[in-house]
Amino acid sequence: MSAGKHIFQSPASGFRRAERAWLWAFRLATYLVLACGLGVFATIVVKGSRTVFQTEAPFLNVRFLTQAPESLYVFDFEGRHYEQGDREHRAFVAAHPAAENVKKESLVYSAGGIFPCIVGTLLLVVGSMSIALFLGVAAAIYLNEYARDGWFIRFVRLAILNLAGVPSIVFGLFGFGLFVIFFGWNVSLLAGWFTLAFMVLPVVITASEESLKAVPKGFREGSLALGATKWQAISTNVLPYALPGILTSSILGVARVAGETAPIMFTAAYVVRDKLPWEVARAGDFFFQGVMALPYHIYVVSSKIPQNDYTERVQYGSAFVFLLLVALIATTSILLRNHLRNRYKW
Amino acid sequence: MVSTLEPPVSALPGPRRADALIAIDHVDFYYGATQALHDITLGIEAKKVTAFIGPSGCGKSTLLRCLNRMNDLIDGTRVGRGTITIRGVDIHRPDVDVIELRKRIGMVFQKSNPFPKSIYENITYGLRLQGLKDKARLDEIVEKSLRGAALWEEVKDRLHTSGLGLSGGQQQRLCIARAIAVEPEVILMDEPCSALDPVATAKIEELIQELRARFTIVIVTHNMQQAARCSDQTAFFYLGRLIEYADTRDIFTKPANPQTEAYVSGRFG
Amino acid sequence: MPSDFAVAKRRLRLLGLTGDDAIKAFFGGNALVSVVVLLLITIFLFREGVGFFGQNRQNLAIYRQAGLEYVEFIRAQQADHIALTRSLADLRLRYLTCLTEERQMTLAAANEALAGFDDYAGKFSDTVEPLRGLATELTEMATAIKTKFLVTQDQKEARRQLLAEGKSAEAAKVKIDEVDFATELKPLVGTLPVYRDLNREFARRLVEVAAAAPALPTADLRDRMTRLQQHVRDYVAGFPAIETRLAKWDHRRPVPWWESFTAFVFGRAWLTASFWQDWYGILPLLAGSVLVSMVALMIAVPLGVGAAVYVNQIAGVREQKFIKPGIEFIAAFPSVVLGFFGIAVLGQILRAVSQLPGLSWVPGFPYSERLNVLTAGCLLALIAVPTIFTLAEDALNNVPRAFKEASFALGASRLQTITRIVVPASLSGIVSAVLLGLGRVIGETMVVLLCAGNRIAIPDFSSGLGVVTQPVHTMTGIIAQEMGEVVRGSIHYRALFVVGLVLFLLSLAINYAAQTIVRRYRISIG
Repeated sequence: MSAGKHIFQSPASGFRRAERAWLWAFRLATYLVLACGLGVFATIVVKGSRTVFQTEAPFLNVRFLTQAPESLYVFDFEGRHYEQGDREHRAFVAAHPAAENVKKESLVYSAGGIFPCIVGTLLLVVGSMSIALFLGVAAAIYLNEYARDGWFIRFVRLAILNLAGVPSIVFGLFGFGLFVIFFGWNVSLLAGWFTLAFMVLPVVITASEESLKAVPKGFREGSLALGATKWQAISTNVLPYALPGILTSSILGVARVAGETAPIMFTAAYVVRDKLPWEVARAGDFFFQGVMALPYHIYVVSSKIPQNDYTERVQYGSAFVFLLLVALIATTSILLRNHLRNRYKW
Repeated sequence: MVSTLEPPVSALPGPRRADALIAIDHVDFYYGATQALHDITLGIEAKKVTAFIGPSGCGKSTLLRCLNRMNDLIDGTRVGRGTITIRGVDIHRPDVDVIELRKRIGMVFQKSNPFPKSIYENITYGLRLQGLKDKARLDEIVEKSLRGAALWEEVKDRLHTSGLGLSGGQQQRLCIARAIAVEPEVILMDEPCSALDPVATAKIEELIQELRARFTIVIVTHNMQQAARCSDQTAFFYLGRLIEYADTRDIFTKPANPQTEAYVSGRFG
Repeated sequence: MPSDFAVAKRRLRLLGLTGDDAIKAFFGGNALVSVVVLLLITIFLFREGVGFFGQNRQNLAIYRQAGLEYVEFIRAQQADHIALTRSLADLRLRYLTCLTEERQMTLAAANEALAGFDDYAGKFSDTVEPLRGLATELTEMATAIKTKFLVTQDQKEARRQLLAEGKSAEAAKVKIDEVDFATELKPLVGTLPVYRDLNREFARRLVEVAAAAPALPTADLRDRMTRLQQHVRDYVAGFPAIETRLAKWDHRRPVPWWESFTAFVFGRAWLTASFWQDWYGILPLLAGSVLVSMVALMIAVPLGVGAAVYVNQIAGVREQKFIKPGIEFIAAFPSVVLGFFGIAVLGQILRAVSQLPGLSWVPGFPYSERLNVLTAGCLLALIAVPTIFTLAEDALNNVPRAFKEASFALGASRLQTITRIVVPASLSGIVSAVLLGLGRVIGETMVVLLCAGNRIAIPDFSSGLGVVTQPVHTMTGIIAQEMGEVVRGSIHYRALFVVGLVLFLLSLAINYAAQTIVRRYRISIG
């Protein structure tokens, strides 16, 4: 700042101070939001990693990731404190019959692991995203490449827009009414797949259309002028270039599919199931079985069992693994996109 | 050359209409409700270069895109009246397969549009569409086309690098090579040099001179010198109408129509 | 070289379609899927839900025919008395606080000093005893009639099913005990003279007892007592009206078709699996949903729009690079995880904050229910912020650069440009962003199910803003909670579908409003 007055000097008025205060208020709002997000994330990561990781080798709580949930028994016996899972406890009682009648606290789902839930969630995500991508990309191709403006297209677009706003619980009711009852699929993977797929359909269609639009018109004209049929032009000269974009934008869909609980509550999720999904009598049964799913499991363990030091482990652990899983799926899609984008550049 | 014997009258639909390869007969064309072409009649002769000139929006590109029915891709367009026949076949006949039509009529666009594939794949794209898989044959055609497009020497060592790595002029020549690889009868060029610098333009013009021996070329251009330099016949369009169509020499030296004269002498446009 | 272009021969045709036509039709079919899904949602919500109104009308009809409605008048009278007793208890608490805090008495001494008051309160509450006895008796009678009727219904259903299966002999064997409501109700309605006598005595006793209020030490307490006594007089003055209603009551009065509809839309109670009468009124759920959403928007709108303005207009490029992904990352948080966070962490924190002595001036503070509107609202705000942020940022981005530059060139400051040029120009986009945020929030299930407290009652708005510290239940929450437990095809099951339908229509309306606003905006700028 130079000394002396000149005509362009800033008028050091209250107005300027008010302006600065406002700009800071905007900044504060932004960082408050980020801080809240970070706070939630950090709490779950810090507390959850205590369950998932451990200090001695292999540094990973393998039991938690590979076993099914079971009840936890907490009791004092012969002067010692015990915390045992269901199976362990039964063996213990068999060895020490006196332990049978000791006063003990039993907490459901608080021991063991969450392996079946992880598997269930992965199955739900893969299945529903496959259906949604198939339907969504095809619909987007029609809308962007084939359709001519008219009432039909306006109608379809209106439907897509409105479908995007339908609450997830309504999708749950719909899936229940259509797949579970009307089609008689009962609570099953298939019912969950379709329910979730229809829920993310608008996301996938919109994302795919954006990516298709981003492919230069010249690619289409160039190949049509060489005598390609419409489909040849699309499949060889449009789709490959749109694919990275479609995948990236669909990550949002993946996060939604993996994260939603309401639609699968009555269509695909079981509170507890002994068998793993591949333990079926016939291959056809695979599609018609309900599964345990992580989001539903988190709902169950956070609402149906009391909050204390023993249950906290499984609660935070599940939430942490769930967040991690969603992040992992998203990262995979991003890597896949980068791989494709490096292959096709224009 | 018979044309010089005929009187250059603008009302006449063009020289040698009877034996023209492409005959455009009283064509009206509409974009929705707007009429873009009014009663166009002209004939385009085989193995010659025909230039369409005229100010922006005069309909020359529209007419060009009618010839391989690229306008079909735009919503709301239609040919209102008249016929376009190529080798005596009306291209709007219902049994004409537009895909086959486009295979025979190549096109080079205003903005070069190589596919984001390798040079080799760009050239072979059209051939593969036709089911040609023989590697040796493909190699042969690639070399021939690139030589035809005067690009071979420049790219022969990097055939498998992306076509997008080439310069603007090279990209446009790649597009020409891609078009001639499928051996079309006609090549339509829609202002092929408008995005290029003078040196690249000169190369393309040279190339056109070489290609005229093998292909019928229709070129739309803004650049009157270009039309004068490389075309045999020139059609001048204004506001969707064909004003004059004659030998290039005549159009530029003794135009019959005062509007043509005004345009070619640079007084408007 | 080929000589003509008529080369349709090579294309394979099936049913007059070439391969390309078939591909186009296939894609078109897929585009149709979203329309079909939307239609199916509508159809299935209606299909499962529409039967509710018929069943609810029957439900209401039984309520009347079996005399429950009649008994309800007396039960309500009794409930009002209980409310009066409760305010008397409240008065006692104030009296006690007054004694212990202002007069520095020990608790024991204060309780002793209150003996006179307790005697008064005891007498007051005892006055209702005869009425309570009658109400209990009548309740049993009415319930018995209802049960009898329901048994008959079951018998009829059993016969119908047997007939449908073609077992007419067995169907004939099913005994149906027809219920004649008029005869059944005779003893019930016959108690009216007894009730009249009882009521007269009750009124006399009550006025007498109420008048004999003990002396109270402070003006405030005396004032409250006077008001209470006034309430008692009003209460008693209402007795003849109740008697007239009872006398006029007729079980044969039909339940009009629209009543089942209005009972749903304006019903103030959602009461299921009750021994007495089930009510399906959406108001408490709607009120809960709206209240939670409002709290969420109240927090999310300033934050979301503020952040959008900051990122789009103020922040540097480097800041943008981590703020945008950061906020989008929040959008990826699964709602059930946020709900769990609310139960495990946020609920406690907010409650602890509310109990800070310095904050007792805040309406509703301190509170003891950790799961309430505020907890759920805060978390929903975190869900709504990314939606509002992203869409509002888009809207701000669409403001032509030229507007901004022109404003700067005229010597406007950054804030002036933002508030007078950029925000007004993108206002409709921002409004539509807020609306879509509302849609997102009102349809959110897991957070409210876990954190809103799940008490089915219309929140008490008399405490002003403090209402946000009350627990509520929501439309989404009730579906998620009760759907798993209901009998398929029952009235309760159908009621949940109707709630879903309301939710669906509400979301469509919000969406429509958002779209309309955006469309208007486009026209105005172009």
